[in-house]
Amino acid sequence: MKQNFFIMYFLIVCAQLLICNYFHISAYIALSIMPAAVMCIPTKIGTGGAMIIAFLTGLVIDFLAEGLIGLNALALVPVAASRRFICDSIFGQELTSLGEDISMRKYGSGKVTFALLIEQSIFLAIYITADGGLARPLTFNLMRFACSLICGLLLSLVIVNMLDPNERK
Amino acid sequence: MPRKRTILGTIINTAVFIILEIAALNMLTHNGQLQNFFISKASHWFMGKIWGATESVRYYASLKKENERLSEEILTLTRRVAALSEARSENEAEARIVIPEDNGKYDFIPAEIIKSSVNKQHNYLIIGKGSDDGIVPQTGVITAKGVIGIVDVVSRHYSYAISFLNSETGISSRIGKDGAVGPMSWSGTDTKGAVLREIPLQYRFEPGDTVYTSGFSSIFPAGIPLGTIVDSKIVNGATYEIRINLLQDFSAIRYVTLVKNRDIKEIEDFGDNDKEGGR
Repeated sequence: MKQNFFIMYFLIVCAQLLICNYFHISAYIALSIMPAAVMCIPTKIGTGGAMIIAFLTGLVIDFLAEGLIGLNALALVPVAASRRFICDSIFGQELTSLGEDISMRKYGSGKVTFALLIEQSIFLAIYITADGGLARPLTFNLMRFACSLICGLLLSLVIVNMLDPNERK
Repeated sequence: MPRKRTILGTIINTAVFIILEIAALNMLTHNGQLQNFFISKASHWFMGKIWGATESVRYYASLKKENERLSEEILTLTRRVAALSEARSENEAEARIVIPEDNGKYDFIPAEIIKSSVNKQHNYLIIGKGSDDGIVPQTGVITAKGVIGIVDVVSRHYSYAISFLNSETGISSRIGKDGAVGPMSWSGTDTKGAVLREIPLQYRFEPGDTVYTSGFSSIFPAGIPLGTIVDSKIVNGATYEIRINLLQDFSAIRYVTLVKNRDIKEIEDFGDNDKEGGR
């Protein structure tokens, strides 16, 4: 049975809401799987569409996770905006030109991890800065960034694997 | 065509990105006080930069107008300079007049030199003022740069003066304003040279010191600059003989000032009584 991407995406959003509401591990960790989900939006959907989806997703998470409204939306839109450029640079232009989706099996875990690293970094840099980062010490921000990046990257690899079109068949 | 579509797509994507980010920032500003503070700060900084850049552009745009204003100002100033130069040349005679210490004893009368000689041993001047203008014999002839001569003979409209460039003319002079006094006369060799004699050895002076009229004569008031010291030598082991470089260039004089001592008659009468007494 072929799984629908958007159902998976909806489930990932729900998972993110659970993380935001119930998994407060540490002040140093801002755990987010949404950059991975945004990166895996089918390439048939253009950058503009991906940005709108990312924005709306961010707003839903902000509303339902009792966070600052606009924070996730602010950080996710640049992830969606840079998605195509990053995919073209790392996976080659055939990914977007042929309308294929990101697949760990096809492109290898190294490239996917690298793409996720960049997307997570963009997300966290904006998220941490906008989340009162300018009022906190730089060391705290850097620690938060590093811890969040490692945790988010590990979790994102699982998400990408779940959203892999080959796995969804 | 695909290229055009790509550019259009990029523009649309950029617009969507900016709109969404502004919307997110707006929401964040209204929901977080800290975010509000930092976003306001950032927006103020950004607006400041924009205003600064706008001001720079406006200033640059106004340079043309500024240049025109400066050109007009330069023109006005040039006209003023020309007018002042004209006025100055018209008042050249007055400009050359020097009134030293006018204590009421002297009359100063501007005059023009009609004729003069500089290349003889006994040089003379003919001045365009005479007895009708109040000129009498023994009237001094000066400029701002020194003593020119002494009036000897007067007609109704002209005066004949013995030039300082005359081997028989001597002027009582002082080194500095309060230094040693001695007679100064023309060196007889060139129009810029003079010799100051009979300066006692105990007085100190340096090359470059200025020599003035002493005021000990009944003809010239004190304090008229005459020249500067060049060098000196001791004569007969008793006094200094000092070489002077005259300030006045005698070959280029046109306007002078006649200086008349109001009390000269009285002073000369004393001299006559002294002579009679001496007899």
